[in-house]
Parts: sequence; structure tokens; C-alpha cells
Amino acid sequence: MKEVVRREYYLFSPWLRIFHWIMVVAICVLFVTGLMITSPWIIYSSEPTFSGMTLDNIRNIHFLAAYLFSASFIFKIYGFIINRGDRLFPHVWKGYFYRNTVDVAMHYMFLKAEHASYLRNPLARCSYAFLYVLVLIEIITGFGIYYMTDPFGIGGTLFGWIIPLLGGEMMAHLVHHYVAWGIILFAIGHVYMVIRAEFMEGESEVSSMFSGSKILAHEPRDAGHLDGTLK
Amino acid sequence: MDKRESMWDVYLRKGMSRRSFVKSCVALTSLMGLSTDQVSKVVEAAEKKPLPVVVWIHGHECTGCDESFIRSGAPLASDLVLSQIALEYDHLLSAASGEPFEAHLEETINKYKGQYILCVEGAVCTKDNGIYCMSGGKPFVHTLQHAAQNAAAVIAYGTCAVSGGIQAAKPNPTGSSGISIFAGRTPVVNVPGCPPIPEVMTGVVMHVALFGTVPPLDNEGRPKQFYGNRIHDTCYRRPFFDAGMFAERFDDAGAKAGWCLYKLGCRGPETYNSCGNLRWFQGMSYPIQSGAPCIGCSNAHFWDEDPLTTRMPEYGPLGNVDKIGAAMAVATAAGVAAHGAMSVVQKQKREAAEKE
Repeated sequence: MKEVVRREYYLFSPWLRIFHWIMVVAICVLFVTGLMITSPWIIYSSEPTFSGMTLDNIRNIHFLAAYLFSASFIFKIYGFIINRGDRLFPHVWKGYFYRNTVDVAMHYMFLKAEHASYLRNPLARCSYAFLYVLVLIEIITGFGIYYMTDPFGIGGTLFGWIIPLLGGEMMAHLVHHYVAWGIILFAIGHVYMVIRAEFMEGESEVSSMFSGSKILAHEPRDAGHLDGTLK
Repeated sequence: MDKRESMWDVYLRKGMSRRSFVKSCVALTSLMGLSTDQVSKVVEAAEKKPLPVVVWIHGHECTGCDESFIRSGAPLASDLVLSQIALEYDHLLSAASGEPFEAHLEETINKYKGQYILCVEGAVCTKDNGIYCMSGGKPFVHTLQHAAQNAAAVIAYGTCAVSGGIQAAKPNPTGSSGISIFAGRTPVVNVPGCPPIPEVMTGVVMHVALFGTVPPLDNEGRPKQFYGNRIHDTCYRRPFFDAGMFAERFDDAGAKAGWCLYKLGCRGPETYNSCGNLRWFQGMSYPIQSGAPCIGCSNAHFWDEDPLTTRMPEYGPLGNVDKIGAAMAVATAAGVAAHGAMSVVQKQKREAAEKE
């Protein structure tokens, strides 16, 4: 048996990790309550008023989770500023991004036995950018329809423009609902990919979201990203 | 008739009492959505301002807005037409017809240039030079442009005039659209609805007539006093929504008990109108009160947001987005499981190769 020397790379600040787990809880809560708001459940066993879970309560939970989730971006932004490892956008302006993307994609399509080691592989970076676009659409359409109880208040002014842009409030509701499914599909793929990387490739994807560190056997190609020496 | 009469002059000429005049003014004040301390301003305007000249033209539509208008109860539509405005031209309500009538329109536009109020019902057809809607031998779009650019203000009555209405629903073969793009610099008041509430129609024209300005408008050009609230937020069935008590079908016990119609596709949560507070025909009823879910008739593209009796559109045998989404989630899960299995095989091959 060959001796494997592993090295620890500190990647994720606590701020990003806190943000990530708030996002996990918030998305679960928002998705379930969102479905319940669109198609309220039929409760035959008891008078709905006395069941405790009135639609009023469900909506309030949805709104509370939405506010918490939006507010948690302050952690993400702070981490982004203080820690290089938190900056996860795809480096589409760099040549190596495309070489590495091909490398990873070939492996995922079973055309290559393994891909090089990365702290954050380029496809993962792309998928996060995609997720943030979906989340941004959800935030804008969500607050857009939420604040329409007072179209001329601060919230209505900040987010109300989305409604004529989408061609009406009904359309804004539908976009909000459809994009939510997109986030769930992302989550399924995301959970699979991290479990695969953790337990098959030994890339400590899952544990790094708790500890902040990755313990890798190989020198990752983008190790220079952490101290800014990557060109 | 160079000296134009005011509303008070008309009352004097007809031998009506000061008391009935003031009563009309009070009714108008509340109708325009103003607080009662504005009564003195309304009385003053009604005494001094000459009766506003109104030109009322019709485009691509069903004249249902007029049907609504003539049912206004306070003020009575007949009072409004005969003694509170000077209605010079109206396709539907005029006795005259033919050449003299069209000549009278031209005369009115020239005589009161920049002073008259133009009321428009119906969409304007833009395709093929507007030949799909002709009025007096001319495409309606020409009449509209000519009349609108010389008007003091334009009131677009009904969803057709505001955003094209049913003519503009997909695939919109006549190229119908709302009228505001043809109004030039003239201010436009949008009064959507299919049709708008009678009292809203009379209220808006009286506001423009008495104050000489358009009422405060929202970002879609609708008067705030009538379109400032969602029907959902003023609905008397809202407590049933909050409590989670819904009619599931049109003939179930919930529907009979008057529970919330949200699950039957009610568009109240997306629709701005006064149905919930003013209601129709002097507060008698409105669609939700009669057991029919709101179809959102004052929304720009409500005809295209079908089916109107469900919350979400269905895509043939696939069902709505929740069914499609669940199916896609299952497919994705199956896909990643397959990918995982193949990854295991790949890893075993790789390790076997490394050992050799």
C-alpha cells in the first residue's frame, strides 16, 4: 500500500458556512410552504381554523423564511470580502477555466478515468452561479408580489418593477413557482455531486462545509487561488 | 351657444333646487373617492366651471363598457350625460347618424381644441393600416389619433382601450393594442375592467371634468382611488382564505357555504379593482359574492392567463408544473443514481489498473 500524504487547505470562512446552512433550511421551508400556498392542502380531519396550520400561518412562515434567507446574504457578502476561498464565481475570463472544464466534464461523462484535483472545480463554480441567478429571480419576484399590498411603499418601489416586466402579476406568480422547481432540481444534483466527491474521490466536499477545510491527497490545480498566486 | 353653461347653470335653467344641486355635489365627492371636506371645492367647481365637453369614441370592442356605464346609480348615467357633462359625440348614445354626425365630430374637435375630454372604449387595430376597425369610413386609428392629440385628457375605458383586451389575446390577428401609444402628449387615464365598474366610470370622468386635471395615477396609469387595492385584500371572503377554508369544486359544500374561491382559480390576489369595496350596481354584489371566482378582468393580459378556473396552467397530459416538477425530480434522482452506479464501476476499474 502506497503512503498517502494529505494536506489541509482552509477554504470556507465560517460566514459562508453559516450562510450555506441557513440557505439549506430556508429553501426547504420556502419550497414546502410555497407549494402549500399555491395548492392549499385539504384537511378533512378537523376544522381548518382549529388545525393551527391555517393558510395565514403558512404564508407567515414563508415570508419569515424569505426574510431570513435574504438577510443571510450579509454573511455571504462579508465572507466574500474577507476570504478568498469564499469567492466561488466561475473564472470565465481565464484560459485555464475552459481547459479545466473540459477535464472535469470528460470525467463526469466517463470518458476519462479521473479528473485533476481542484479546490473548487469549474463545473461546480458554474452551477453555483446558476443557482444564484435562480435565487435572485426568486427574491425579486417574491418580494415583487409580496409588497404589492402597498404598491407605492418602499418595498413596492424597490421590487414592483418586475411585475410589468414579466407582463402581469399572475405571470410573476407563475415565474416564482416555476423557478422554485429549478432550485430543487439543482439541489438534487448538488447533493449527489458532493456525496460522490466525498466518499468516492475522497475530496472532503461534505466535511468542508462543516469544518471549512479540505484535506486533499493531491496538490489541487487551483491551490494558488487561496493566496492569490493563481494566474 | 358661445357661453358654456356650468353644472349650476343647468340646474337653474331646469328649475332644480339648490338643495338637489348640493346633494349631487356630495354624491360626486364620495364617488370620486375624495374625503367629505372636499365638498366645498366640488361645489365651487360645479358652480363656476363650464360643463366639460366630452367626445366618446368606440374602437374594437363589444360596447359592454357603455352597458356598464348606463347602469351607474350615483350619479345616474342619465344625469351625468344630460346635466353634468356636455356629451357632443358618442357612437352609441347619439340619435344622429351619417355625414352630419361625422361633420359634427370634426366641428367639436376644432371648436374645443385642447379643452374637451376624449373617452375611448375599445382597442385600436394596427395591422394592415388599421382596416379591421373602420368608423365613419376611416380606420379607427386615424379618428383616435386626430381626436386624442387635440384633447385635454384621454380616458381609456375598459381593458380593450387600456391594453387591447380580448382582441389582443393570442394570436392577436388584427394587431390590436391599447390606445395610449396613439395619444401623443395628451395625458391618459387608464380605467381597465371588462367592463369597469359603472361608478368608477362616472367617477373618473367627473374628476377630470370638475378639477380639470387627471386624478392621481399609479404606475400603470390607473386612478389610485379605484385601483389602489387588490381585490384579495378587500374581499369579504378573505377570512376564509386566511383560515384555509376553500371551495374545492363549484358544487361542493364549501362553495355553498361561501368559502374562499382561491383553489377555483380566483384572480383576486393579482387583480386591482374596486369590486371588493364599491361592488357593482350600488353595492348589490360582485363576481366573488355571487360564487364566481374573479377572472382578473382589469389585468392587461388576463385572457391569455387561462385556464381561469385553476391556479396554474395545465400542459396537456403532463398536468401542471407541480406534476412536471415532481416527475423531473424523480428522473433527476434516477439519473444521479445511475451516474453513481457507473462511477463506482469506473472507480473499481481505475483501482484495478493502478494495482497492476
